[in-house]
Order: sequence, then structure tokens, then C-alpha cells
Amino acid sequence: MPSDAAFIPIDMPIGVARIAASLRADAPPPKGTTPSPWGDAVFEGITRLFALVVLGSLAAILIALAFAAWPALEKFGPAFFFTNVWDPVKSEFGGLAPIYGTLVTSLIALAIGVPVSFGIAIFLTEMCPPILKRPLGTAVELLAAIPSIIYGMWGLFVFAPWFADHVQPGITASLGRLPLAGALFQGAPSGIGLMTAGIILSVMVIPFIASVMRDVFEVVPPVLKESAYGLGATTWEVVWNVVFPFTRVGVVGGIMLGLGRAFGETMAVTFVIGNAYRISAGLFNPGNSIASALANEFNEAADPIHRASLIALGLVLFVLTFVVLACSRMLISRLAKGEGART
Amino acid sequence: MTPLLSPVYRRRMWVNRFNLLMSLCTMAFGMIFLLWILYVLFANGFAALSLSMFTQPTPPPGSAGGLANAIAGSAMIVGVATFISTPVGILAGIYLAEFGRNGWLARTTRFMNDILLSAPSIVIGLFVYTVYVARVQHFSGWAGSAALALIAVPVVVRTTENMLQLVPSSLREAAVALGAPMWKVILMVTLRAVRGGVITGVLLAVARISGETAPLLFTALNNQFASSNMNAPIANLPVVIFQFAMSPFEDWKTLAWGGALLITLTVLLLNILARTMFRQSAPR
Amino acid sequence: MQIQLSRSTDTPPNKEPVAKAPPKIAIRGLDFFYGRFHALKNVSLDVGEREVTAFIGPSGCGKSTLLRTMNRMYSLYPGQRATGEIRFNDDNVLDPGTNLNMLRAKIGMVFQKPTPFPMSIHDNIAFGVRLYENLSARAMDERVEWALSKAALWEEAKDKLKQSGMALSGGQQQRLCIARAVAVQPDVLLLDEPTSALDPISTAKIEELITELKRDYTIAIVTHNMQQAARVSDYTAYMYLGEVVEFGATDALFFRPARKETEDYITGRFG
Repeated sequence: MPSDAAFIPIDMPIGVARIAASLRADAPPPKGTTPSPWGDAVFEGITRLFALVVLGSLAAILIALAFAAWPALEKFGPAFFFTNVWDPVKSEFGGLAPIYGTLVTSLIALAIGVPVSFGIAIFLTEMCPPILKRPLGTAVELLAAIPSIIYGMWGLFVFAPWFADHVQPGITASLGRLPLAGALFQGAPSGIGLMTAGIILSVMVIPFIASVMRDVFEVVPPVLKESAYGLGATTWEVVWNVVFPFTRVGVVGGIMLGLGRAFGETMAVTFVIGNAYRISAGLFNPGNSIASALANEFNEAADPIHRASLIALGLVLFVLTFVVLACSRMLISRLAKGEGART
Repeated sequence: MTPLLSPVYRRRMWVNRFNLLMSLCTMAFGMIFLLWILYVLFANGFAALSLSMFTQPTPPPGSAGGLANAIAGSAMIVGVATFISTPVGILAGIYLAEFGRNGWLARTTRFMNDILLSAPSIVIGLFVYTVYVARVQHFSGWAGSAALALIAVPVVVRTTENMLQLVPSSLREAAVALGAPMWKVILMVTLRAVRGGVITGVLLAVARISGETAPLLFTALNNQFASSNMNAPIANLPVVIFQFAMSPFEDWKTLAWGGALLITLTVLLLNILARTMFRQSAPR
Repeated sequence: MQIQLSRSTDTPPNKEPVAKAPPKIAIRGLDFFYGRFHALKNVSLDVGEREVTAFIGPSGCGKSTLLRTMNRMYSLYPGQRATGEIRFNDDNVLDPGTNLNMLRAKIGMVFQKPTPFPMSIHDNIAFGVRLYENLSARAMDERVEWALSKAALWEEAKDKLKQSGMALSGGQQQRLCIARAVAVQPDVLLLDEPTSALDPISTAKIEELITELKRDYTIAIVTHNMQQAARVSDYTAYMYLGEVVEFGATDALFFRPARKETEDYITGRFG
């Protein structure tokens, strides 16, 4: 279209398309770069590669461990997981004691940690004055940030002796007298054992469980709580009858996350569990967990079967943790999608 | 109408008060432990803090010394691990948020990533041992870094993906509307918009791996002497602390507390730094 | 359902009808799908060169969808597809072989929410230019100044070029986005509700700007504000449920609508 002078007659009807074109501004026509079609494909390919690396590493761990554990599994068969024998001299190994220890310490950790986390989550969501919410929330998360080895040292040098002197005798004297259950509370007051390990573990998993609980409690639609309050319900009644049922699925997910963490905890447990390949009813007795067995023995294990047995234990730990964490994740994301409680 | 002081009402009030009191107690329980641990750490650790801790290498039992080689070794191992894990994590996170989104590869990777996030670190150390250390028949700093990188990557992936998802699609579209190719849009606009959050993720990952002991037990092992050879066992703070703390020697134990304090201060500082950075740069 | 490609053939009594120049963008038989949802049904209309064409209609009528087909913005999202023809510069935009980057160099877009990039004001504008041209620092500065002047932002921004784009007010940010779009020298500007997130004064400034810009650019604007359409546009399309109910010269459409549905919408009886 020819460029005309930039003069537009006022009375031209709007529909007419001949509008005098003002001269385009100064810049010369584009030259230089044209976006290439390859750049995007390459970039996407690179990012996809790294995503595959992440995906592959989990599979690689499973496969590598299974491979390395095979000599022991082949020699001892499935009985490996149910026998309690650990004799490096005779090259006879059965991992029941560490497996038992891992399960028991984790269960103790949950038994203490779940109610405490629940209380903390309620406090932070319902009771806490707004100005304290963030600092207290951060303080709880700092518990998770403290490295495991610090917990171990504190446990060994401070907590265990204190526990042995001030708490353990009392418990053994009182609860230890109960029929049946009393057997759980027996053991020498050394402070070293499954119970101490379990208690320290509970402090370590509390921040994880409490965070998940707090997050899911905050997902509850405010109108739901308000309708309950509007009927005159107390805070506790709202929490127990409205919030908790609504978030049940997520709460269980959080608990399983804590369990997964408790299974794998190494340093804190290694310091205070006692490194004893024994299974006894008394929780105050020393024992062993898979992680602590690995930490204590792996580097000194010269016998290949010994090594393979330890790796087999590691494989058990990995599979156990994988299953628990997978369940946890599925449950938490179910809640995040807003399915709420099934009524 | 139920009178205000009826037994039913009173019981409900007491139940409420009791449970809220319990809730307050649990909060106190958590705080007591936090303060207890920190107090013990500071009280014991300060005794060991001195200039020599930073200048002298780890001593044999019974003589004076410091932690200089362990500190240096840890810095190297953590440094290399960060160097590896940051690009891997960010790029994988970009894939999940920008390309894969809800495809099967992305969903599976996200799932596996979340599991890896909480996987036992000792098993990861064992893995690196079986595939690398056992094959080359020696421990090394590189193996230690590899193990730590495996622990750090999921953290970076998770934060990067979450941050990128916060970017409003209108920002992406505005860049696309100018004709920019996707890789420029992602790197120069989208990622840039959330760079504070992504850096936070990296800092949190560094804080996490700085304190890890278990994965280094079978990979980097330890070295009594100062060394900068990453291809051999190298001194590092967590394993040194483990060895010294479990020993019967008093001076070793004191050094262990000093090292513990140092690690904790580093980790706490990184956490606080990460959180303040994040708050300052949250996208509007 | 009928589509009406009705042009008002009214001309003022003492002027001869003048032949219309070929349209800048000619849309023929356009269908659009969000997955299985049929969002645009057999749309045909012309966007005239150096005119302002407005799309109005109630929420969900498909006006933004229509706008976003013109620069293939929907291609970002799998599951969204279009069939039909959109002719621009002798090519069908919907053709799979179309070079999208070059298309978007010629058809620019401004969005409802101001979207300054996380960079300085200068770099916001330079970003687009650098995609296509290798300018020296001095030439770039000149281009930045030119673009900001075109967007009526130069006076307010000239001392702040190094500051972040996000430091501007809402109305200024939107003018920055307009400057950014103009800087790459497109032929067409697509404006998707450009003032709905702004205060009345900024809105008035941008409407003034549109009237200025149409001297150089072809403009298509989506707006839910009928008065705005009446103020700034030369042609208007009224859409409902994915169809163009009526399309014609703005004055004609607003004062003598040919369809009852149009009249109902405009008089507020509906929508």
C-alpha cells in the first residue's frame, strides 16, 4: 500500500479502509538472528535425560544391592530373615536381630512421636497466637535440621545417663511389675538399649510427622470448621470430630513418612543401641538395628559372605523403606487432591 | 434449654481444657528437647572452640590438635556434591514442571524422587560402595561426593519443580508471544522469576548433606592427615566426629563436640539463610 | 446455527462507497477444540489492516480463544487444536509447518494481567528485540526509547531504565508490555482485555494509546466492556457460545444491530 501523507480527512466514514499511513519509525528491517528449531528439541532432550537419571537411580540402587547381596541370600536362603545368628568366625549369618531392632525402635518412635506430633499440629493450627506461629513452626523444623550425629552424641553422653539414673529405675519398678507387659520394661539401667534409641528416634521423627499433619490440617476448608464452631462445639471437639476425620488419610500418610524416616536413621541409633545381636523382650536391653549394624561392622568385614550379609540387610532396609514411603506418598497426595475423608 | 452449668457441659469443658493443655505440653516437649540438645551442644562445643581447631590437623590420641583437615575435606566433598547435584536437580525439575507435566515419565519420576528424598542415607552410601568403591578397590572423596549428590538431587528437584509451578502462565505466554523459543522462555524468564526459590532449594540441599555421616562411612572413609587428593580416602568432619566420639579418649571427645558444634552452626545458618532468601523473593 | 458475516453497507448519503482493501487477517471456517469441547464453531471474519477490530460477548463466548488462535498461542497446550483457515500474509497460520517464532514476530500479544519480565525495564524491551536482531548497544537504546515513546511511557520511565520492570505501577506495567510488543515491530497487535485489571485513569490512557497505535498497526482487541469497544474500535464482532453472531462496523453494530441477540446484549437485557 502506498504511503500517503499523514492526513486523515475528518469526514471519512469509519468503514473505509484507506487510512493515511503515517511513516513507520526509523529502525531498519530485522536482520540477524532467527530462532532455530533445534534449540528447543535439544533443551527438552537434556532435561528429559536428567529426569531419567533421577528415575533410574532408584532402580539402580535396588538392582545393585540385590546383586551384591546375592551370595549371602543364596547361601542362607529365606531363613536369613528369620534366624538370629551372627557369627563372623564361622561365616554364619541370620539377620533377625537387626531387623527386629529396626522394627521395635521405629515402633517406639511412633508410639511416642505420633501423639506428640498430633498435639503440636493442633497447637500450631488452632491454639497458637498468630505472632508465634512462624517462629514456633520454624523451631519445630529446626529439630529436623539438626544432624543425626548430634542426636547420637547428645543421646550417648547426656540423655542415656540421665535416663538411666532418673527415669529407668522408676519405670522398671512400676510398669515392670505388670504381668505380661511388665517384661517389656526390664533391663539393666545402663541407658543403652532399644528404648533409649526409640525415644531419641521419636524426637527426630516428630518434626516430619508434625509438618505433614499441620499441612493437612490447614487444607480443611474453614467453612467446615466454622459450621461446627457455630453449633457451639469446643475447639477439641472440632479437631477430633471435623478436622481429624477429614484429614485421616493424610495423617496416616504423615505417620508412614515418619516410619520411613525412623527405619533409616543411622547415627543417632548407632550411638545408643548397644550393638548386641540379641533379641529379648526387655526394651531396656541393648540390641541392634540394620543401620547401626552396617555402620559398626561394614568396614571391618573381611569375609565376603559377611559383607554380602550386611548388604542383604541393607536391601531389606531399602525395600521396607520404599514400601512405607510409597504408601505414605500415595496417601498424602490423595488428600492433597481434596478427596477428604471417606464417609 | 440446657442450663449453662449442666454436667454435660461441664464435662465437655473439662475435656476441652485437658486436651488443649496436653497439646500445649506436647509443644513444650518438642521445645524442651530442642533447647536441651542445643544447650548441650553449645556448652560442650565451646570448650573445644579455639583457633587451633581450624589450623591443626586431627591428632593421634593423646596429643593436641584440631580439625583443619576434616573441615577442608568436608568442604571439598560437599562442594563437589553441590556442583554435581545443582544442575542435575534444576534440569530435572525443569523437565517435570515445563515439559513432562503429567505424562507418565514425569509422574513416575516425581514419585521416585519423593521416595529418594526420604530414603535411608546409609543405603545410598552402600549403593555407591557396591557400584564404585568395590570396583576400584579404594575409598575416595569422589565416591563420597557421589553419595551426597544422590541425597541432594531430590531436594533440588522438588524445590525447583514447586517454584516453577508457581509462575503464572501469563508470564510464560508473554515471552512466547514475542516469538521466543521455549528454552529461552524457561531459562531467561520463568526460571529467572523464581531464582530466589531455586537458590533456597540448593541451600537447603547443602545444609542437608553437610550433616550427613552414614553415606560417607563406606565411601570417603577418613584420613588422619591433611590431603587434597579426592581420589583417596579423605578426612571429613562427620566421620571424624563419629570416630572420636565413640573412642575412650577425652581429648578426642572434646574435639568431637567442637566439630559437632561447627556442623550444627553451619547447618542452622544455611537453613536460616535459605528461609530469609525465600521469603524475600517469593513471586507475587 | 447460522453465522452472520454481515457488514453494514450503510454509507453516509453523500459519499460513494470506497472499495475495501484486503484484510490483514482473514479467518475462514475456524473451529476450535479444548479436548472434546467444541469452543469455536465455524468462525469467519476479517481483521482489517490498520483498523481496530473488537470482539465482545459474555464470559465463555470464545472471544479470547479466538484471539489466541491468531498467534497460535494455543499450541503451547496439548489437547487444544484448531481446524480451518487463518490467512495472514498469504499463509495459513494453522498450517503445522508454520514457523511459530516468526509468526509471533509479526503478530504480537498483550495480556490481561500485566506481565513484566523479572529484568530491568530496558532489558524487558531488549529481550524481544534480541530474538531477531543484532543491534549495537546504542541502536538498542534507541529502539528502547522508540518503543517506550510509542507506548507513551518514555517520559515516566526514562530515568528508571535500569530498575526492575516490576517496580512500575499497574498501568505503567501494561504500557511496558505494549512497548515490549511494539519493539519487535509486528504487523498486528492482539490485545486480550488489556485494561480489565487497571484503574479508570490507566484505562483511559491505554485507550488513547490504541487510537494512536492503529495508525501503524492492525489491532484486534478482546474486551468485556462494551463501551470500550464502542470507543476504540472500527469493527466489532459479537460472539456467543463460540459463534460470531454479528460482525460489522462498530457504529452500525451498536446503533443499528442487525440481530436481536446483539441488541439484547448491547442493551443489557442479557449478558
